[in-house]
Amino acid sequence: MTSVGETDRTGFSDADPGPKARAGLQRREHFATALLILPVLVVTIVFFVLPLSMMMVESFKKDGAFSLAQYHEFFTSPIYYWVILTTFTLSLITTVGTLIIGYPVAYYLATTRSRLRNALLLLVVIPYWLDYIVRSYSWMILLGRNGIISRALQDAKLTDGPVTLLYNTFSVSVGMIQIMLPLMILTLYAAMLRIDQELVLAARVHGAGVWRSFAKVFLPLSLPGIYAAALLVFIISLGFYVTPALLGGPGQAMISQSIDVIASRLLDFPLASAAAMVLLAISLLVVIVYNRTFGWDRAWTSPGI
Amino acid sequence: MDQPRHLSASFARAPLIGMVLLSLAYLIFPVVVVVVISFSGQKFLSFPPASFSTVWYRDILTSADWAQSFWITIRVGVLAAFLSVGIGLPAAFALVRRRIPGKGVLEALLLAALITPPIIKGLSLYLFYAPLGLNNTVVGLAVAHTVTGVPFVILNVSASLRGFDMDLERAAVIHGCSQLGALRRVTIPIIMPGIIVGTVFAFLQSAQELLVALFVMGSVQRPLAVKLWESVRVSIDPSIAAASTLLIAFAVVAFVLASVLQWRRRLA
Repeated sequence: MTSVGETDRTGFSDADPGPKARAGLQRREHFATALLILPVLVVTIVFFVLPLSMMMVESFKKDGAFSLAQYHEFFTSPIYYWVILTTFTLSLITTVGTLIIGYPVAYYLATTRSRLRNALLLLVVIPYWLDYIVRSYSWMILLGRNGIISRALQDAKLTDGPVTLLYNTFSVSVGMIQIMLPLMILTLYAAMLRIDQELVLAARVHGAGVWRSFAKVFLPLSLPGIYAAALLVFIISLGFYVTPALLGGPGQAMISQSIDVIASRLLDFPLASAAAMVLLAISLLVVIVYNRTFGWDRAWTSPGI
Repeated sequence: MDQPRHLSASFARAPLIGMVLLSLAYLIFPVVVVVVISFSGQKFLSFPPASFSTVWYRDILTSADWAQSFWITIRVGVLAAFLSVGIGLPAAFALVRRRIPGKGVLEALLLAALITPPIIKGLSLYLFYAPLGLNNTVVGLAVAHTVTGVPFVILNVSASLRGFDMDLERAAVIHGCSQLGALRRVTIPIIMPGIIVGTVFAFLQSAQELLVALFVMGSVQRPLAVKLWESVRVSIDPSIAAASTLLIAFAVVAFVLASVLQWRRRLA
């Protein structure tokens, strides 16, 4: 990318204008670059970094003085211990679930020569852009008392009355995995497209079977993609709010719900800020690992349809 | 390609294709359920419904409450999308074409803004806006959504720019066009599909965002996501399915439009 930038930057003037003029030109170039970047930088700093800093200050304040009281309260409360544990467990289930279901789909999309590929990709992308409240709501219908599964069980005389499959770890997992699946598939797919198929073919030519060439060549090459996609899904899952609230019971409460309750109902903004700082610290740790390991630019572009 | 190997490969792929179809069904089926329920003739939710009607659509479309929420979402989303393009487009040019010191830091910052848990953004913006009087304002929420909308513009415009042939711009300059004119009349029209896709994504993420909206605009004027969320919590009658179906239709139309544009870029 840098090499493209180099040639383009000076692309228009072939004649050397002399060292003095060149220095002036360069300064003007730097100025222009700064002008192009500045708006994004300012908006992100003012409306993202600054509020976060204010929240951090708020989390350390008690009666106008510096204090660790909120953090002490948060970490010594058994409720929040369970909430953090639940948040981790559900995020892990979602990550593993999306990986197991998503990998074959991404593999098929990346290796198929079918003309249906673009249509299938669209079927993955469109659910990604559907409202997650709507998608959680549809699982309430499906898994609820009058849902299709409850009816099937009644028709088969397996139960006496309507049953609900809602408000447990299973229902929350089903919803969260369905919501995160498109992101997992698209991230894996983008990574798999970069794998040179000729290498798999070479293994086949040299006598490896379908499975062996996959296990020994393709799978190891796709590991960075798996790693990146899994971390991405995990970190976004940590912040889930709607799905556990609609499909889960009190035992499935995640940390975002706790923060909301502390802020909106208890109106304890310092404690809510401290809880948010804990969530932020966990998330940032994962981002740092993620950014070090892998580039991030393919996940949110529209895949080459 | 010799025939036997091709055949064995397709045999191995049969279970794979089965798995793919099952996964896609898992993705699509809930969406179908919502659409079908929205035409239900019953007051309680059941799938499949025993009778059909369009009564829930009449409910939604004639409700002043839903209409108000709809307009707030449009106003916030359009403003956020335009702001995102306004600041994202120049940044994309700089990121692709120029050498920027600390580029990695800037990218990390944008990524952080994108995937920071929404409850954190909601709470911190609420605290930040309170003394400024920006809570419960369309502009306040739109700017908040711009922070998460910009990355979508930058990513999609950058992808278009990297595929753009610089010789076209040079040719225009050689033929007497000013650099700015070449940009306006050659480069921008060619990368337009990328710009539009980025803008559509920026709008869609704003329209669907709940937690920041809940904190910043949760009380007086409620955007669609907040209204939807409150309705789902109170009752889950089919009118919510009707509202959801309208949202689904909107997203699908926006998406198909974006895909068609991208497809035309491929042909060009």
